Order: sequence, then structure tokens, then C-alpha cells
Amino acid sequence: MSATVAPRPVDSEQRPGVDWRVRLLDRAPFLVACLMLAVIVAIYGSYQTGVFTLDELNLDTAASMTLMLAATGQTIVLLRGGIDLSIGGMISLGTVIAATQFAEEPGSVAIWSVAILALGFSVGALNGLLISMLKLQPFLVTLATWSILNGVAMLILPTDGGSVPGWWVAFGYAQFLGLSSPVWMLILLFVFWTWFRATRLGITIKATGSNEKSAFLSGVSITRINVATYGLSGLFAAGAALFLTTQIGAGSPTIGKDYILPSVAAAVIGGVSLFGGRGHLAGTLIGAFILTLIGNLVFVLKVSSYWQPVVSGVILLLSVLASSVAEKAARARAQ
Amino acid sequence: MDLVTVTGLSKRYGGIVALSDAEFTARAGEVHALLGENGAGKSTFIQILSGAVSHDDGTILIDGKNFRPANPDDARARGIAAVFQELSLIPDLTVEENIWFRHEPMTAIRTVDRAAMRRQTLELLARYAFPPLRPDQELRRLTLAERQIVEIAKGLAKAPRILILDEATSALPAREAGWLLKLTRQLAGEGKLVIFISHRMAEVRAIADRLTIFRNGRTVAAHEANAVSDGEIVAQMIGRNLDRLYPERVPSATDRVALKVDNIASGSRLQGVSFAMREGEVLGVGGLQGHGQRELFQALFGTAKASGRIELWGKPTVIGNPRAALIGRDGIALVPEDRRGQGLLLTKSVRENLTLAVIKRFSDRGFLNSRKEAALVKEMVDFLRIKAETPDQLAGTLSGGNQQKVIFGKMLLTEARVLLLYDPTRGVDVGTKGEIFQLMRDLAAKGYAILFHSSDMPELVHVADRVLVMRNGRIAATLDGERITEENILGAAMLEVEAA
Amino acid sequence: MNTFLARNRLILLAYAGMVVLLLVTAMFSPGFLSASNLRSTVVLAAFVGIVALGQTLVIIVGGIDLSIPWVLNSAAIVMALLCGSQDTPLVWVVPLVLAGGAAIGFVNGAGVAWFGVPPIIMTLATNVILQGLILVLTGGSPAPSVPDLIKFLSVGRIGPLPVIAFIWLALALIATLLLSKAAFGRHLYALGTSATVAEFSGVPTARTTIVTYVISGLTAALAGMLLTGYSGQAYLGMGDAYLFTSIAAVAIGGASILGGSGHYLGTVAGALVLTILTGLLPALNLSNGALLIVYGAVILITVSIGSEIFAGIGSRLRGKGGSLDG
Repeated sequence: MSATVAPRPVDSEQRPGVDWRVRLLDRAPFLVACLMLAVIVAIYGSYQTGVFTLDELNLDTAASMTLMLAATGQTIVLLRGGIDLSIGGMISLGTVIAATQFAEEPGSVAIWSVAILALGFSVGALNGLLISMLKLQPFLVTLATWSILNGVAMLILPTDGGSVPGWWVAFGYAQFLGLSSPVWMLILLFVFWTWFRATRLGITIKATGSNEKSAFLSGVSITRINVATYGLSGLFAAGAALFLTTQIGAGSPTIGKDYILPSVAAAVIGGVSLFGGRGHLAGTLIGAFILTLIGNLVFVLKVSSYWQPVVSGVILLLSVLASSVAEKAARARAQ
Repeated sequence: MDLVTVTGLSKRYGGIVALSDAEFTARAGEVHALLGENGAGKSTFIQILSGAVSHDDGTILIDGKNFRPANPDDARARGIAAVFQELSLIPDLTVEENIWFRHEPMTAIRTVDRAAMRRQTLELLARYAFPPLRPDQELRRLTLAERQIVEIAKGLAKAPRILILDEATSALPAREAGWLLKLTRQLAGEGKLVIFISHRMAEVRAIADRLTIFRNGRTVAAHEANAVSDGEIVAQMIGRNLDRLYPERVPSATDRVALKVDNIASGSRLQGVSFAMREGEVLGVGGLQGHGQRELFQALFGTAKASGRIELWGKPTVIGNPRAALIGRDGIALVPEDRRGQGLLLTKSVRENLTLAVIKRFSDRGFLNSRKEAALVKEMVDFLRIKAETPDQLAGTLSGGNQQKVIFGKMLLTEARVLLLYDPTRGVDVGTKGEIFQLMRDLAAKGYAILFHSSDMPELVHVADRVLVMRNGRIAATLDGERITEENILGAAMLEVEAA
Repeated sequence: MNTFLARNRLILLAYAGMVVLLLVTAMFSPGFLSASNLRSTVVLAAFVGIVALGQTLVIIVGGIDLSIPWVLNSAAIVMALLCGSQDTPLVWVVPLVLAGGAAIGFVNGAGVAWFGVPPIIMTLATNVILQGLILVLTGGSPAPSVPDLIKFLSVGRIGPLPVIAFIWLALALIATLLLSKAAFGRHLYALGTSATVAEFSGVPTARTTIVTYVISGLTAALAGMLLTGYSGQAYLGMGDAYLFTSIAAVAIGGASILGGSGHYLGTVAGALVLTILTGLLPALNLSNGALLIVYGAVILITVSIGSEIFAGIGSRLRGKGGSLDG
């Protein structure tokens, strides 16, 4: 193609290296997300002192963590080539159960937390079952279960209210080695993902999203993969609900809907493909950070906070356009 | 003792018999060729053997023990691996992840042991002297031939005792095809059974120890390979007089040029092609697969970006998309390669499919006139003898031949007199094939100009007035009259490939 | 016509379900069948029905329009701000607002057709961008008054029938003509069934996609203006509920979310079912929560029935298809 010689990895005695530009273009959506985050942090940092401190990291991570947890589940579903709208219902339901059932003693909190997580997994698994057994579209199934879960949440707690123990709220801000618990959760999420994407389940979910028919021909049980995928998404939504109660100290039957589309947006900004098979959690977490930091940015720039959704929308559009341009370029180059 | 013994194997799809009372025996350590025309039942047979499809009747014995796989995993457990034409690979996984998919070496924390996987991959590739592949490259960036090779590696990774290769050489360039043939002998030498399906007689001759011939879902014969002649094999495969398939070729070309193509090029596959096709001519396009035939048709129909000049009936024309091609009498129409993916709306009616490209022809001031539409539909259904219960029958429920007729009808209704036919008889029953060839000659006699590609060489030889042979994206030879023979087409197609 | 019904059993089912629902409701709450109650049901259903017209077309073409809430809301706000309570400015404000809705639809359609942006993302982005712009424009406060003519159009009556019923009927007629009697409809179904086959058959794919989203922008804008007449003001968030109900009405009306099938006549039934349910539950002394549960259940049940019917078609296709490569 040109005079530049592509670097050759050690194992390349088999074949000349892949054009490094193709590799770069393959990662373009993620790199664009990193760049956007860097720009946002730079602007933020130049208007505000104390941005590059642990305190700021602790605060911003706490503000992002609910979305991050919800978006982790959504990322797994998107990798599978589906979408999960029901997480909105599950988050609402989780917060109202916690706010009505958590008693002061840790034992009750522990039991109900486990119950909420188990419920999240079961509801998700049921989504997966409905999708596979009745051959229904994920969009409609999870739209329906979102409505149902939201309804149940409203039956339990018609309006915002209830409460969780003070120590539980404090736990959401607790610090260990200078890092707050949300930052530790972020680290845990990374560790989990590094492990999960290398497991056979992780690979199979990605493979099924990449090409369902090929996966089936290779012996994958699509039903089992759907149950696991949506089950995990429900589990993470329940986790998001539990974390959210530490932030708002109460339950809300309507709060969940604020996380449905942003969870998809965070993943897409981070380079996860809506068509399945492509993307990483790292991108999603950066996407979630971006969406949260836009709020801070609008604040320090002293413009109306109403600009926040405008900026998010523009960033979302820029990301998808960047990935579609990059994919076209990569395809042209790979030929 | 025989490794595989099949008796009385039958399989029906709805009312259609795909396999009836098939017999098959094969030994360990041999390459066993499976021969038969399209639709003879070979694919169904190997799908059953590999667990992708379950059979209705009959028994399969492997090592003398009964075998009835419920899914591909069952078959794999008994040592059977299949490499199908329709690949089972995952675009977003790497080469090595694909090869070991669901059989990866694992670490103690239940993750994939990447180092071990790399080692195993390199071992496998070296052991069978695979053509160059990068284990860490994502599959979607590979060429079709490279994917085919990965699929073969995936089959071998399971260390099968029985390896089924379904037309595995058809997507491979000459050198890789040669490698695969050597590989089958190596595997037979290791004591494995290789069941090998190919349409290329030379390949079968080169490697097969024994062969079994299928026709119309039945086993018609099994031979030791060196005890039977090519002529006998072909006669048993076809089982009918060839003459009836092809209509008499009455030259009808005039001096008027219908389509003139000047130095048309597209991507890396189409390197600059020029030719002129005359009114009333059937112009064949041949050559080995993947030498620019597809790209030529795409460029002429506007589905791929291309440079160069196109003249239709003497007028320079720019064809940027199919809409620019489908402009009525002076346009170009295409019967595409992929009937189900490009040609037909399977869940829509015969009527809607037939008239999709000519809605203007039955619109009054923007509103559809269903009487006019019905007349157009009836005209085509009668003309092409499309067998549908009613015009409202869903196109997807028709037989393959009738589906193809609907696509022909859709294009004929556009009244375009330059027709591009890309492999129009693929997967079509013999009866309809004959009808399609007759139709082509009839249309040519009426002054249509037909550009005709077929993956089946005898079709070009018997139907086309002239044949362009493509090689490396260019026209390597133009054959006409007596010079249109399979030998000449193949000779022109392979010359440089062999040298490369 | 017979074949139309045979292939649109789901639409019939939706109407049958609606009648059953009406009767059940009447049993539990005798007042439900009163003229005034039926009238208000029709008015409420009309808003859903008008919004869902665009959504139906977009879903048939294989997309989805998530920008409906704030297109609707923006139209309402802009109209109310420009007109106040005066009728005369409507002469230029209504065309202006409709043009705005069409412009947003154009952006959605162009993003999908020209740049290959997934419809979910494209329309989600325009939705949040509009939301922000309207918030900035209004500073978060509602527009408190609307023209009398708009009030008349949405809650007024001609004889015993609400005016909006006539508007809805006219739109349903236009939509039916478009889908069943115009080239556009053929293109729409072909494109939703298979974009590749449509392209290979000379269907103007980009233009059809864009026009579809433009229509969705138009109907959302129209519904937004009319809705201000019902609520007497234009407030922020008034469109939020219509995202869910527009999609639900289309799904209950029998369209496949994968595209290529469905009809606006089904969506009309879907809009009525949803609205009757909303009226039924208070009659049964059930809360909002129960209503959401019932909504979800109804969607699940209808799409399951639809999927059974499609599965029947699919297995017939597969049965035949399997023989091809035998």
C-alpha cells in the first residue's frame, strides 16, 4: 500500500502483520470516547480548581456508579445483540423494596439485598426465556416487562418515599485507603470484566451476538445464552438499584426510567455496537463518565443546566458517526 | 470392517423428498467422494451425518454401533466433524478463538488459557502445513478463501475420525485447493475417513479411493475409484439425456450494439474490462470463481462503485444505483446471485414481488390500480408458467424453481432489454433449468441482449453465443462458435493462476 | 379484501379484543358506555392514534422513532408561545410548527438512510437535543394559554361527535390510502421486509426512509399542538407518556417490530385498547401501578400471538427452503 512497514508481532511468521491502520480504525470508537473524556476533563479542569484530586474522583464516581452498573448489564445484552429496557423497571422496583423492607440491623439489609439481587437475576432470566421460547423481539419483551416491573414498584410504593438505614447511606460514601466505596466498585467492575470476557460464557455471549446462526451451528444453546445474558443484566440492574438507595436514601417507583436510554447511550458512546459482538466494558464506563461529567461541565461553564441534554445528544451522534466512518475506512483498507 | 454403514436413510421436508432409501458404506483410512447434481441429496445426507438435521427413517451404524445424533455435539462426540459450504464462523472472534470455539483450553479460574490456545493453534497449523494465517486476526477481516481455511482448521481441531468436506475447494484459489487435496490424503494416511464432496471431476480423480453417486435423493452406485470411467460416472449422476436440457442454439445476434462497456473497474477484483454485447446475443461470462465476475455484474447494475464507461443502445449511461439501471426499455435488469437475500421478499406475495420494480406501470395519478396490476401479474404468471395457487401466495412458500421464475418475471416486467443473469439456475430443479434456457433463447430471438454468468461450465458451453473468460479481474479470452468448449474456458481461466 | 383480512388476522384480533374490553368495562362500570365517557375515550385515544401514525410507518420500515416525546412537546410549546390565546397567528404558526416537525423527521431519516446510524440512537439523540433546546428556550416554565381554535379542535364537538374524531378519521383514511393504495406503501413494506431486495428492485430506499421519518415528525407535531387544547396549556414533559403508548399501540395492532408488516388500522385498535384500559382500571378501583402491569401483560400477550402466527409462516418457509439445498 505505501512504504511504511507494519510492525510484526512475534507470532507473525505465519503471515505479514495486519495493517496497523486497520487495527487503529477498529478501535476508533473507543479511542474517540477516550479523547472526548480527555477534552471534557481538560475543560472542566481549566475552569475549576481541585479537579485532579482524589476527592473529585470519589465524587464523580459516586455520581456515575448507578449508571455504570446499569450500563454494565446493558453492555452484556448489547454484546449479545439485544437490548434491555426492563432495567428501568428493575431499578425502580429494587429501590422501593429496599426503602420499604430494609430495617436498621445489618442482617435484614443483607437478606433483602440478596433477595433483590436474586429477583433481578430471575426477572432477567425470565426475559431471556420469553425471548427464546416465544421467539419474541427483545425490544418488545423488555418494554413489556419494564411496564410490569414499574407497575409492581408503584403498587409497593406509589410515590417517592420510604427510607434506608443511615449506615447504609454512609456506606455509599465510606472511604478506604483514600478511595471511596464507588471507586472500589469501579475497580471491582474492571476486575470482573477482565475475568468475565475471558470466560467461556463471556466469549459465547459475544459470539452469539456476532452471528447467532454460526454460534448455533457450533453447538451453542441460544436459550441458555439468552437466560444468562438477560439474567446478568437484571442482576446488574438490581445492583444499580441497591447502590442508588445509598445515594438518594429512599425509594422511587419512577426513577428507573432515567437509566434506560442513558445506559444504551453510555455503551454506544464507548464504542459498543448495537448490532452485537463488538465492544468492551471499559468503553461503556468511559461513556458513563462522559455523560455524568457533562453535568459538571455545564455547571462550571455557568450556562444553563438545560444545555446538558443537548451536549449529550450531540456527543452521542458524534460517536456513532465516528464509528460508522471508521468502519467504512477500515473495510476499504482491509480489502 | 466398515467405519460407517448407512441403510434406508430417508428425509422429507414437508411434501418434498430430499433423501429416500439412501445407502452408504465407507472405511477408515480412505477418501470417499460423494457425487451428484445439485439437489441430489448429498447435502441432506451429510447434514444428517453431522447432526445438523435429524432423519425420518433408516439406520446409521458407526463402528457397528447405532448412531442417531440429536445435534452437532452428539456427532462430534462420536468423532464426526463437518466443514460446510455455509460457514459456522464468528465474525468478531479471532482466528484462534474460532478454531477452538467452545473447546478452548481453560485455566484454573475458568478463563480461556490464551497461551495454551496459541500453542495448540500453531501446532495444528504446522502439523497440517496450513497456508499462512494469523491466529490473532479477527475473522471479519479475512477473505472468503481464508475463512474457508479457518473452517477446515476448526474441523480438524476436534481431532475427528470422520471429516466431511462439503465443496471445500470451491472457494479456494488453485494453490490452496492443491494443499487441501494433499491434506485429505494425509488424513486418510492417519487412518481417518474423509468424505469429500466436489463437482470437480479432476479433484475426485486425484484423491478419491472410492465414490458414491446420488441422484434424486437415492444412492445409484458405489465404485472403487479406479474401476470406473468419467463417462460412466457422469451418466450415473445425470441419468438422462443431456440434449433435452439445452435448447437448440439459433444465433439471433444483430449488428446493433446493446451494451458497450469500456474499461470498467471496481475495487481490487475488477481491473478493467471492455466488451460489446449485441442485440439478440447471449454473452456468457466464465472463469474460476472470484475472478471479477460478481464485481462486473454489480458494477453494471449499480450495486458497487465502479469507474469506466457504459453505453446502452449507443447512449452513454451512468449507473450509480439499481434505480438508474431499471429505467424501462432502455435500462438493464438483473437476476441476482442470492435469490433469497437479494431477489425475493419471502414473506410477501407473488403479486407484490412481481410488480415491485414496476409500480409506476399500474398507477393512476399516484394510486395503485389493482385491475391493471392483476393483468400484469397474470401476464407474467402465464408467460413463465409460475406454479402458484393464487397470486397472493407467499413467495417464500414456492419451490426454488418457481421462486426464480418470480424474480425473472419481476425483471421482465421492467421491459429492460439488456438482462444480466448471475447464475440463474443455481439450486433450481432440472425441469425449470430447461425452461430457463429456453426462455433465454426466446428472449434473445426477440432482440434482448443477455449477459449470462454460470458457475456450471456446461451451461455456458451449451447456451451462450460467445463466452468471455475472466481471470484476475480482466478478460483473459473471448471464445465463440466451435471454440466454446470446457477445455478452452478452463484453459484460459487457469493459465495464469497455475503460473502464479 | 378477503386476502387482506386473512393476512392481517392480528388486526381483527385487536378489534375483537377492543370490543371484549368495552363489554367487560361496561359490566363493571355501567356509566362507561355513556356518550360523554365514550367521547372522552375517543378524544384521548385520538392523541395516541395520531402520534402512533408516524410510529406505525417507521416501525413498518424497520426503524423506531424515540424522538416523538420531545417533537410533540416542542410543537406544543412553540405553538403556545407564539400564539398565546389568540387564534389569528395560527395561520402561520401551524404551518411553521409542522415544518419544524418535518425538519426533525428529515434529520432522523437522513441520519438513518445516509449515514447508517441505528434508528434507536439517531432518534434518541434528536430527542434529548430537542429536550435541552426547549428547556433552554422556556427556562423550564410552561406556556400557560392556548388559542380557542385549538381547544375547539381537540375537545370541541360537531353534533354528538368530538371534532378530533374527524381529524383522526381523516388521518386514518390518508394513512390507509398511503399504505394500501399508493406506491409509497409498497416501497415501505418492501424496504421493511428486506432493504437489499428493495434496493435490487429499484425502490428509492433513502427517499422512502426519509419521507417515513418526516411523516412521523409531522404527526408528532400535530398531536403536540392538539394536546395543548386538551390540557389548556403547554407544559414540559407532556410528551413523555407518548413514547411508550405509541410503540405499544403499534405492537398491539399487530405490526412486527422487525418491520415489513402491520397496518395503521391495527394501530387504531391498539390506541383504543390502551385508552379503554386506562379508563377501565379506575372503574375497578385499581391504581396506576396495576395499569402499568396490565399494559405490560397485554403487550406480551399480543406479541406472543403475533409471533405464533409469524412462526407458522416461518416454518412453512423453512420447510420449503430446506429442500433447496437437499
